[in-house]
Amino acid sequence: MTDWLIGLTIGLPWLGALAVWLVGDKREREQHTLAVIFAVAAGLAALALIPSYGDAVELRFEVGGFFGDFTFVPDGLGVYLAAIANVIGALAVIFSVDYMDGENALGRYYAMILLFIGAMSGLALTGSILLLFIFWEITALCSYALISFYNDDPKAVEGGIKALIVTQLGGVGMLIGALLVRAYLGDYQISTFLSRYGELPENTLTIMAFGFLAAAAAKSAQVPFHTWLPGAMEAPSPVSALIHAATMVNAGVYLLARFYPAFEEVSGWTTAVTIVGLVSAFLAALMALVSDDLKRVLAYSTISQLGYMVYAVGVGSVFASQFHLFSHSIFKALLFLSAGAVIHGIGGERDMKKMGGLGRQMPFTRNVFIVGALALMGIPILNGFWSKELILEHGLEDGPAWAYAGMLIGAGITALYSFRMVWLVFFDVPRGEGHAHQAGQMMRIATGILAFGALTTWLLVGSFGEMLEESLPFHGLHVHAGTTLIEDIITAQATLIALGVVALGLLTWWLRGSLGWLANGLRFVGTAASHDFGFEWLNRQIVNITKSSAESLRATQTGHLNWNVLGIVGGLVVVLAILALGA
Amino acid sequence: MNDLEILIAGVVALMGVGLYGLLFTRNLIKVVVALQILVKGVLVAMTAAGEASGQLNLSQTLIMTVIVADTIVAVVGLAFAVQVKRLFGTLDLQALSNLRG
Repeated sequence: MTDWLIGLTIGLPWLGALAVWLVGDKREREQHTLAVIFAVAAGLAALALIPSYGDAVELRFEVGGFFGDFTFVPDGLGVYLAAIANVIGALAVIFSVDYMDGENALGRYYAMILLFIGAMSGLALTGSILLLFIFWEITALCSYALISFYNDDPKAVEGGIKALIVTQLGGVGMLIGALLVRAYLGDYQISTFLSRYGELPENTLTIMAFGFLAAAAAKSAQVPFHTWLPGAMEAPSPVSALIHAATMVNAGVYLLARFYPAFEEVSGWTTAVTIVGLVSAFLAALMALVSDDLKRVLAYSTISQLGYMVYAVGVGSVFASQFHLFSHSIFKALLFLSAGAVIHGIGGERDMKKMGGLGRQMPFTRNVFIVGALALMGIPILNGFWSKELILEHGLEDGPAWAYAGMLIGAGITALYSFRMVWLVFFDVPRGEGHAHQAGQMMRIATGILAFGALTTWLLVGSFGEMLEESLPFHGLHVHAGTTLIEDIITAQATLIALGVVALGLLTWWLRGSLGWLANGLRFVGTAASHDFGFEWLNRQIVNITKSSAESLRATQTGHLNWNVLGIVGGLVVVLAILALGA
Repeated sequence: MNDLEILIAGVVALMGVGLYGLLFTRNLIKVVVALQILVKGVLVAMTAAGEASGQLNLSQTLIMTVIVADTIVAVVGLAFAVQVKRLFGTLDLQALSNLRG
């Protein structure tokens, strides 16, 4: 039964992708309907999979030879991430029915989204590092294709290529890791690696640990690889919600959490992870504060929140990181989808300086957006509050004090920019022209469900912890029971401090008129933040260096057969010489 | 000289002629001929390897495959040469190349 559910979770979206594509772009209604049916069915299959979690291999394809066995293990980490991918995927598809109505190339759009959902479920559920890598790359491909969906817009194409290159760079680290595991342990299975990682030489394990960290940072848009995520905002909003907020960007955090038991003891690794998380959370929060593009603010906020999760892994709390991942994917998908409803409603404008006062014209969207924003700020009793407090609590107990202080300030800035965003879009004086139209029925269904989730999913904290504890034999997690956990969070010192900082952040916005001197004093920080702290410049430099060195190497490409053969013969001579010297 | 050494000498000679041709000729037809000679040298090497490792059956099977593929290369290459001569009026590879480094 479980093997069937795994098969359906991955297979249904892929079948749907094929079906939508075969129907053809001339029959739009059928395409919408088919996409929704397949996505919802896959979502239900993924939800049905949750109760049958366990740590045994449930589905195995013996491919043999170099590829080893392709296995699928429905453990706690896997089933819940697959459920997030499928359920939020289904909601994004439902939302798209209104959002993408009348667009061209719907077949390509839905096929790529459904292909992505299946690949993401596979990534979460597989037990083989090689297969993990393959699914990892399929998600990157779908992300590229969907960012560049409006392929007559040069910005969209550039954003897509940038995302593809950056995440590919990280993927290489992972492929090397997979091959090293195979070379030393004769097997690609994650369980083999986690139980026998001690047999690897220390250097090799270090290379793997940092290679995986680079892969995770690239995928989860952590500093210094974060520059692709704001560029990815050229994608249609449902895509941003699904891929660039709720699922694919979480794959990096998932990777760190998955392999944490093996890398934990590698010297310097946990510190490096903590620093990556801290720097990303802090810098991205500042960038979100100064950005005026609604979707870019949300993108920076995603980088920042992913930083919290990475930080949690760094201080050793895999559970807190995964719980925040769970909460974040719900409230951030909600924020992106309702931002999409706003942008759709006012005809494609994304600049918050041209919005203002939209709350009265679209009250439903305003209400759900505020729910999402409150969860992002970490206001009780929304799901973001519980998970963020859990991270900060562990950070205070187990992590270095300086890192905790940084994360705390980050939480304050989060409250500040979230409030600024809500104010500029829905309140304040209207600055835009023309009338905004209300969100469609399908949009309301999708955002309504997510808003309900943001209000309630924290109630699952106990069973979520239990699930992780029981099905992850190598992590050795000890999670308190649900009510104790909630009690812990409420009574923890860290919670009070954090709430105080959040209140301070909100107060700063309230008193912004009289705090002008502070803003002037910090102007240079704002300027630096709006220039992406120089990372964009660094990117540009790397691109330029690559281009100019390629230009100068062109001289070697003469196109003359004789020269090419000379190169081959020269290579042969070198190889023979090495062999002769070696023997 | 034993048999194996004679074979290796043959391989070196054939491959040497083939590589020399590829290195110094500019004529498309001569390139195809040189390639054929080179591959024949490789075939002899495969026979020798099969003999030396006691897996003559395997090497013969592989050689048959290579001969088929190689024939196709020759046929396509020569047909290509005929078309090139008709279209461009020359078989000089240097003149045909439009990739300027």
